[in-house]
Amino acid sequence: MDNKKMKTLKSLAMATVGVAALALSAPAMAQDDRVVLTLHPIDSDALIENFNPNNPTGPQQMVRDFAYEPLWIDNIWNPEEDFPALATSFEIAEDLMSITYTLREGVKWNDGEDFNADDVVFTFEYAKANVDYPMGIDVYVEETDTGTVVSAEKIDDYTVKFNLKHPDALARYALGGIYPLPEHIWAEIEDPKNFANIDPVATGPWTEIENFSRSSVELCRNETSRYNEENAIDCLRFLQLNGNEQIIAAMSAGEVDWLGTGLTDPEITFTPQSEFNNYWLPAGGDVNLQINTTKAPFNDLEFRKALSVAIDRDTLVDISTFGLTTHTRFPVGTGEAYATWLDEAALEPYTWLMQYDPDRAMELLDAAGFVDADGDGFRDNPDGTPIAFEINIPNGWTDWINSGQTISENLQDVGVNAVVRTMDQGAWNDKARTGDFDSYIMWTNGGPTPYNTYNPMFNPRNMEAGRVDYQAMHQMRLPEVEEALQAFRSTADRDAQQEQMTAIHIAVAENLPIIGLFANPTWYEYSTRNFEGWVTEENPYVRPVVFEGTRERVIHALSLKPISR
Amino acid sequence: MLYILRRVAFYLAAFFVAVTLNFFIPRIMPGDPSARIIASFQGRLNEAQVEAIRASYGTTGSLWEQYVGYVGQVLRMDFGISTVQFPEPTSSLLFYGATWTLVLVGIAITLAFLIGTMMGIHAAWNRGGFFDSVFTPINVMLNAFTPAVVALLLFYAFSLQLQWFPLGRAHSTGLMPGWNLQFVGNVLYHATLPVLSILIVSFGGWHLGMRNVMINLLNEDFVILARAKGLSDRRVRYRYVARNAILPQITSLALSVGFLLGGALVTEQVFNYPGLGKFTVTAIESRDYSFIQAQLLLLTMSVLVANFLSDIANVILDPRLRKG
Repeated sequence: MDNKKMKTLKSLAMATVGVAALALSAPAMAQDDRVVLTLHPIDSDALIENFNPNNPTGPQQMVRDFAYEPLWIDNIWNPEEDFPALATSFEIAEDLMSITYTLREGVKWNDGEDFNADDVVFTFEYAKANVDYPMGIDVYVEETDTGTVVSAEKIDDYTVKFNLKHPDALARYALGGIYPLPEHIWAEIEDPKNFANIDPVATGPWTEIENFSRSSVELCRNETSRYNEENAIDCLRFLQLNGNEQIIAAMSAGEVDWLGTGLTDPEITFTPQSEFNNYWLPAGGDVNLQINTTKAPFNDLEFRKALSVAIDRDTLVDISTFGLTTHTRFPVGTGEAYATWLDEAALEPYTWLMQYDPDRAMELLDAAGFVDADGDGFRDNPDGTPIAFEINIPNGWTDWINSGQTISENLQDVGVNAVVRTMDQGAWNDKARTGDFDSYIMWTNGGPTPYNTYNPMFNPRNMEAGRVDYQAMHQMRLPEVEEALQAFRSTADRDAQQEQMTAIHIAVAENLPIIGLFANPTWYEYSTRNFEGWVTEENPYVRPVVFEGTRERVIHALSLKPISR
Repeated sequence: MLYILRRVAFYLAAFFVAVTLNFFIPRIMPGDPSARIIASFQGRLNEAQVEAIRASYGTTGSLWEQYVGYVGQVLRMDFGISTVQFPEPTSSLLFYGATWTLVLVGIAITLAFLIGTMMGIHAAWNRGGFFDSVFTPINVMLNAFTPAVVALLLFYAFSLQLQWFPLGRAHSTGLMPGWNLQFVGNVLYHATLPVLSILIVSFGGWHLGMRNVMINLLNEDFVILARAKGLSDRRVRYRYVARNAILPQITSLALSVGFLLGGALVTEQVFNYPGLGKFTVTAIESRDYSFIQAQLLLLTMSVLVANFLSDIANVILDPRLRKG
């Protein structure tokens, strides 16, 4: 044995370990006594110095709700306990043609200027003038006769009235969600979508950007905020992180406190990693199979019924999606997300459509003429043309790919030739719009009422080739649903709304424009290492989602208190 | 001289072809840059807004007009604005990613080249000896591993289980970049596992390359003559054999350095390292034309430049080429 060479190798190995050990002891992180909550609302490769509240590709995840406040924070889970924000009250006009907000007095922007009605009116006018800078306001556009909100009117310094095009009992949800912009800053911004807004001027509890780098940034206490007395958190920290494994590992190591990350097998991959790791996955929106009903065989109701009973949803829930999803009882497309709106007696006759029964599927198919005409082992259309279709899913969406494979096996068991087709997300996005596809597995949009799910799903405007919306990929017009939706938003009476919603549910169950699969979990993970006061199953005071689009998340953050050790 | 001129002409032509391909490849893929922005609103946009966004972030004008504009941009070295992370200039993201890729892959290539070449020299010199018969097969095996497996194993064992090393990222959060011992040490500490994961699978290649060429040279007349003259082992090994055997290694090194700016895709993903590979994946997923184009261009240019330098190096090191 050549001793000299071994020595060289050995010393090399020692040197490597040495450098590592030296480095290990080196980064003595600056310890300060600030209370910092680390949350992870968005994945990124590098943080961008951009805090534009209406830029959806990142910044709004960090500044909306925390720096920029809405007028009103609806508590979707506990509607009676909602939270006034920049407005203190609102009144919907008798004829549902306008909504008047009373604004909070004494609120200051963090640069010292007063917040008042002029800012709100400006915000509306600004949204109207900058169509390519979506601020979440459904502005009425005369040329195309689309949209809802016609104007914002200043009644006095602290009263604003929004005028609507149509009677609309639901407009308050969208209007309450407006994030007013300070007129004295934004009036000068000519190209808002490309404005980086490096020093946010806002009214919320945390507005000061500190320690920006490509790998982390902090949003710190607004000294003029009215929340300061109760607010125990000095700074919110956002990290550059990407990939579920990295993110889970970061929480286990104590680097992150609050997540909304997809998990697989949490009892194995998540909770054992740290005694502080906790999760709760309440049922969220439904996942449906969107089938293109403009094409055979999907244009045949009997085929759609057979499709629905041929799918083994127990396997989808327990195995394909790792036991994290939940069953939905009725074929209405929204599952249990709006359980209070379900008329169980009226929907009882349709429950069989959600139960796995391959024999029944085969009977239905035989009866409707879907038999194997060419002897290739698969059923064909009644006119003899073969059936072979694809279920489109983006690459890497593991739970959906598993689900697609289960569905494809289920369908092949009853003689229907369906295969999974995965593609990259750009292609997947693109194909959806054209209207030229067989079927997609698809999420559903949500909101304060089921209207928010059904309106995009049945709006004929969302079914036009070239601009087909993800929610309306079935492309089946149901006039009774369209009318019921119109009637739903035209009344503020809960009972009248309930009647319309039941009509919608029955129409959907009767026609099966989409095939319900399961309810997605709402992803929520938290660490009890540094903070207490988290939303739990026992104390679900607000939706615990960390992402933008959940206005309550600021209440959640303000409810957290540091644990002293 | 003629040789160098011929090479320059070739590189210019190659550059032009690459620039053209860079323009067309992303556009052949389905999907456009505005799709992701529109999708992120989950149906909350009305028609007018969708159209307005598409007009401002989608690409306007005919393909030919776009192409002319793009060539103009390339000549001015202006890479436009990233649509994924607007309004950040593409060049600033590219520079950021390139810095970390250079740190990560630069260290890995240098170490792999040095370790592999040294091991190759020793293995060839003591052909059939203990070192050769143990390490040559081991290195062949390591060389056949994919970085994905090695990176995941290292991540699992040393980051997740033993927690000796960080879970990823280029440096600790909250640490401000700067040329001080603390920051540099922190960067090296964070780079250790990612570098190892590339190093482990790549030094075997240098080892084998060096070993093979050395063994061929050992039977050459000039080596026999040198030995017959009674020159020291050391002198023959390094000055006579290794010096000649290193020529093809330099060419391969130039190629690796050229490809360096492609980033280490898998390693960067596993260790969440903010290098070019990671940025490129995101850019492709979201059809960020300006970033894809700029990154492909950077890669093409670095490969061409590295090749050109290796041509020159060969001319200097190898007198036979000077006549050509």
